[in-house]
Amino acid sequence: MKKTLLAGVSATFILSMAATAAHAQSIDYGAMEQLFNEPVTTSATGSPQRSTEVPVAMEIISADDIKRSGAVDLPTILSRVAGLDVLNWGAGASDVSVRGYDQAMSPRLLVLINGRQVYLDHYGYTAWATLPVQLSEIRQIEVVKGPNSALFGFNAVGGVVNIITQNPKFDSAGSINLTGGTNGYGELSVVKSVKLGDRFFARLSAGTAQMDEYGRAGSTVLASQVTDPARVSANLDTITQLTEKTELRVEGSWSNVQVSEAVSNYSYSPSKYVTTSVKATLASDTKLGLLQASAYETNLTAKQLVASQQARFENKLDVVSVQDLFKIGAQHTFRIGGEYRKNEVNTAPLAGGQLSYEVVSVSGMWNWAISDKLAVTAAGRYDDLSLSREGTFPAGYPAVTNAYWDRSIKKASYNFGAVYRPTQADTFKLTAARGVQVPTLVDLGAVQLRATAGPYTVGVIGNPTLAPSIVTNYEIGYERPLPGLDAKAGVSVFRQKTEDVKGQPTSGQIDVMPTAPGVLPLLSYRNIGDSKMWGVELTASGKIEGGFHWSGDWTFTDVDDEAAAGFSPQVRLAAFSATTPETRANVSFGWANAQWAADGFFHYTGDHKAYLSTGALVSVEDYVTLGGRVARTFDHGITLAVSGQNLTDGHQRQTAGLEVERRAFVTLSKAW
Amino acid sequence: MSKRNTRGVVALCALALAAAPLSVAHADAAKDVQVAGRALTFLENGPTGKAVLGVVFDPSKPASVAEKNAVMAAIGGGMSAGAVTLTAKPVEASAVPGVSGVAALYVTTGVNVGAAAKAKKIITIGSDTSCATSGACVMSVSADPKVEIVVNRAAAAAVGAVFKAAFRMMIREV
Repeated sequence: MKKTLLAGVSATFILSMAATAAHAQSIDYGAMEQLFNEPVTTSATGSPQRSTEVPVAMEIISADDIKRSGAVDLPTILSRVAGLDVLNWGAGASDVSVRGYDQAMSPRLLVLINGRQVYLDHYGYTAWATLPVQLSEIRQIEVVKGPNSALFGFNAVGGVVNIITQNPKFDSAGSINLTGGTNGYGELSVVKSVKLGDRFFARLSAGTAQMDEYGRAGSTVLASQVTDPARVSANLDTITQLTEKTELRVEGSWSNVQVSEAVSNYSYSPSKYVTTSVKATLASDTKLGLLQASAYETNLTAKQLVASQQARFENKLDVVSVQDLFKIGAQHTFRIGGEYRKNEVNTAPLAGGQLSYEVVSVSGMWNWAISDKLAVTAAGRYDDLSLSREGTFPAGYPAVTNAYWDRSIKKASYNFGAVYRPTQADTFKLTAARGVQVPTLVDLGAVQLRATAGPYTVGVIGNPTLAPSIVTNYEIGYERPLPGLDAKAGVSVFRQKTEDVKGQPTSGQIDVMPTAPGVLPLLSYRNIGDSKMWGVELTASGKIEGGFHWSGDWTFTDVDDEAAAGFSPQVRLAAFSATTPETRANVSFGWANAQWAADGFFHYTGDHKAYLSTGALVSVEDYVTLGGRVARTFDHGITLAVSGQNLTDGHQRQTAGLEVERRAFVTLSKAW
Repeated sequence: MSKRNTRGVVALCALALAAAPLSVAHADAAKDVQVAGRALTFLENGPTGKAVLGVVFDPSKPASVAEKNAVMAAIGGGMSAGAVTLTAKPVEASAVPGVSGVAALYVTTGVNVGAAAKAKKIITIGSDTSCATSGACVMSVSADPKVEIVVNRAAAAAVGAVFKAAFRMMIREV
């Protein structure tokens, strides 16, 4: 048997050697898009693919879409993508999810910039304001719906947002944008790319914004729980062409942010963040294929109000990965990869402990173009996580030792997709995927605090035995162009199951009873059962002669929580069947000529329940938002734009927290 | 909306989509040549700047002549296609063995100059998929209703054409 395996490995190696040498390192998204007349992406399988041929449910937001959105932040742009839910907690903080399951500190959506994780591991969510990217430097935003852990690893369970910036090697970028608006809004951003000779390319961007927080009228949010949002960030992206076939890309970023946000127990927090990151990627075309090795480190300082106590988390993430992408023969494309990551954070608000885990992963992908009509893709990944804890425990906690944290999580994930095009017009996609949502560092023990519950004092501590949530998703989709209408339309049906849903600590249920006098009862994170969801999504878009375009989408989801014995999803802040709206929809219209552009965006969210910080559920009526932009372009690349968000109401209840306010902006920009 | 109604809406939409009329696709010389020109830039050491495309036709075949005329008209005095600006010159099929000064040959439908082009180590591009699948062309391109590019690996190897890896992963090879 060993001999057979070795023979197989040898054959694969020889075939790899025989794979035609590749001769480009970075993907020139612009040239590819112009060639194929559609966006291209690597976020589905790790291999470059046309957006219409990816074996996943995906939407790509173009740079032009972003510019014409009139939006000043990413969540607003994402809210107009079919099936995405956005909870706007304040003027600068939101949580985004795909097809339901949105919550405060939403953990199910993995967010990356050029493949680098900007999802914050300590609490397991994305603080969108911390992303060190200016809207004007984004080439495209790739939104994967459903699990894609087989490519991206843990937490890519609800979906993935991969933000692709302009490439300094291929894209000449230069712009300055100045925005002023109601609610004290002010923003300045600058992006500039430079080329030094034939071998060095760089893009530098920086931006700052500040605004007044929404008013607290009509909410239970306290003045001490909010702050006026502000952010400042900078990013440097360089590519050095080392040889004809090898390049080194180095990216560095920094951001400093403050926002009012809801933490995972739905209490508001005037949070402050400082993030830094450095990433280096070496890519080379070799006889073995497209080889890529990358390493990055991100550092996060997060100051948050947790259960009315100041918590300061210092989270450091180091990732090293290698992959090889190669094509064998005419029909088979393969990707093999390995990754190591180390994640560490201190305990807070009660200090004294240090939690960390290491993850070793291997992954692979096989794309088989069986015929001109049918292609199948199979991808798999295996992650081995080793958890550990150092340091002391707070007084009054049960007598446990750090050895209790010595555990491992070993999980496999997969993505399978078949794309069938029986005619040039009809495209069917069938996908099956299994993703792994690993417990966050906070869930596993980074949070430790004492709190009062009525007349009692309780302790809160993470749970190192918490099981990962496993999300399995099946989907079938059908797309068809409608040339007579210069339009296209699609429909997809999906079914998803989440096993071992995580429930939050709650004073309504003690998890560890006191074992001796003076020992605190403990509240912790628990797996509280499963949740099932099915849904359907309809999309259509088109153009009309004269510079007009339109789009519309409607997504229905039906979530059914299945609690394990002894647990209540509502009490554990995980009543997703109640908090997920059944329907959400978008309609947009736009028109443009050489000088003028006008766009309008209607978004509808159906009625649903929302958590107060007390844990009580309240009703949120369905609502419609209207955003829009009118812009005039002048000579010398100067554009003057007027835009607005939430224009239908002065104040609108979208969550149980702060009411969202109408906002208007004027932007003056110059591109060169 | 009840689940029953939702399922009804889905079924109706699927039926409407399937029943929607699809216009008959027709070749658009300008679009096809655009795709051809851009595809050439994904060759290793591919053309940049100005490149001459030889438009191969058979004067005895009216359809071939008509396609040649359409391509020549589309390119006109120069067509920008990515990193290249294409100009064109007509080349009779019988003249291919002696052709020079062209970056590639655009072969009109129904014409086969595969052997002569291979001997000259010149890349051939056709708008008819069968040109590539049969090996008569290195590559076939079509823009409508969806960009389709087919590369014949044997024909490409015969003229020494090597396409970039990322490009190869996004097209159909035979």
